[in-house]
Amino acid sequence: MTPDRQDVLAALHEVIDPELGYNIVDLGLVYELAVDAGAVKITMTMTTPGCPAQDYILSGVYARARSLPGISDVDINLVWEPAWSPQRMTSIAKAHFGIQE
Amino acid sequence: MATLSNRVSRWTLLLFACALANFLAAQGLILVGMTWPARAVSAPGTLAAVHLLVIGWLLLLMLGALFQFVPVITSRPLASQRMALWALIGIEAGLGGMICGFFGIAVSPVLAMALPAGATAVLLGVLAASWNLGVPLIRARPLRLPGRMVLTGLVFLFVTVMLGLSFALAFTVPALAPYLAPLLNAFGDHALAGLGGWFTLTAMGVSYKLLPMFMLAPEDRGIPGDCVHILGTLGFALAVAAGVAQVWVAAGFLRIAQSTGYGAITIAVAIYLWDIRRIYRTRRRRVIEVHNRAAVGAFGLLALGAALAISSLGTGRPEAGAPVGVFLIVFGWLGGLGLTQLYKIIPFLTWLGRYGSRLGRASVPRVQDLVRERRGGPWFVLYFAAILLGGGFALSGSALGFRSCMALVALATVGLVTEYWRAWRGHYARAHQSETAIPPFIANPRG
Repeated sequence: MTPDRQDVLAALHEVIDPELGYNIVDLGLVYELAVDAGAVKITMTMTTPGCPAQDYILSGVYARARSLPGISDVDINLVWEPAWSPQRMTSIAKAHFGIQE
Repeated sequence: MATLSNRVSRWTLLLFACALANFLAAQGLILVGMTWPARAVSAPGTLAAVHLLVIGWLLLLMLGALFQFVPVITSRPLASQRMALWALIGIEAGLGGMICGFFGIAVSPVLAMALPAGATAVLLGVLAASWNLGVPLIRARPLRLPGRMVLTGLVFLFVTVMLGLSFALAFTVPALAPYLAPLLNAFGDHALAGLGGWFTLTAMGVSYKLLPMFMLAPEDRGIPGDCVHILGTLGFALAVAAGVAQVWVAAGFLRIAQSTGYGAITIAVAIYLWDIRRIYRTRRRRVIEVHNRAAVGAFGLLALGAALAISSLGTGRPEAGAPVGVFLIVFGWLGGLGLTQLYKIIPFLTWLGRYGSRLGRASVPRVQDLVRERRGGPWFVLYFAAILLGGGFALSGSALGFRSCMALVALATVGLVTEYWRAWRGHYARAHQSETAIPPFIANPRG
């Protein structure tokens, strides 16, 4: 069975932003994710432009999504607008960092 | 072998290693009594220790950080990765020459020539570093506040090195002495340009980016940030220019300009500290890491050191408090801030080199897993407490008390260096480490 959007998002929980030490999904770095016939299209950002870990995070996202059975193509679109802010974190991540809702 | 992203500075960790070695060497000179306050400020041992601190420790530390930091704030690569290595070689070799020269002046004119030769090598290293950093900064215009402050700092760095080179030539080349010897009276302005215009403005600029980034606080500093930059730049420029000019012209308006400069510096530092407090108070991340908690000690010692130095300069009695103020600024503010931020930057760069390429492919530790805050934290407490106490002893004229505190400072520094080493070796993260993982950068320095 081909993985769906939730399967890919679950897999991307294993990719962390090394500086914050938390997964990129709960940090809110993944803006959009669509799966269509084994092709994944991801729109995402970084916590700051010029992030030294950018290449590693993008490579990690590609490798983790591509490693899922049935995924044949991964396309990542890196965007800077809208800019990321801590407000984009999930409740779980906010609780981890002590950020009030 | 792990491959490095071209966004990662190849030589930064090596610069940090050299900087820390120089820091420990300078502390060794202080501990064995070869420097102020046991000896005169102009004694060879004091000059050697001071330049080990400001060139060997702080300059290499700052440049190492900027080689990684400037591409972050400009989103542009360095002009050349390899140029960072040439800068390191020039500065280290030059520093060695200068130290030989300080001790050689009293021995023989030939040995003394190592001083201007070393200063020239430092200048070449600084020019290489400035070009490497200046290219991405200029290409990224219009710059935001951190970039503008770093660019301003680089101008002051050039002024500082040129003044230092003039001193070296005045000391050692008799033909130039009639023209340059008066400049020797401006050694305080040389220190102000370096510690203030270069190190302090640059450290402020870097902190304006890193602190909000680490603590998830608003990055835009608005008018207060611009005031710090403008008042700081004008203040240091005015104080240094008027101070140097008074070497030749004893005019009243120059003294007024100099005092105005000190006033502007005081206001800039006060606004900066108020703004830093605002960053801490408005941070979204309530639980912060030890490097940010410990940095509070550095900000406190900036307040104390600047107040002491500027008040003693302003009252015309620099011998009373200025050396202690400079000590607090060098060890407490600049050195302390450097040590605290290394506690984050070294594990971060280590993570990129060691684990980055495994992200998404295997289990990797977090950057936070490379350190043990319970071990690092107490060393910072000891370091800052010993600096504060040492400053008090120096102010009261107790050389023995001061050296006792410096022994504690050295102990804390060794403790922190051990923690950096453990982070780099992956000592605390062995559960995540593959058998083939190797320490980064030095094993793969191509770039």
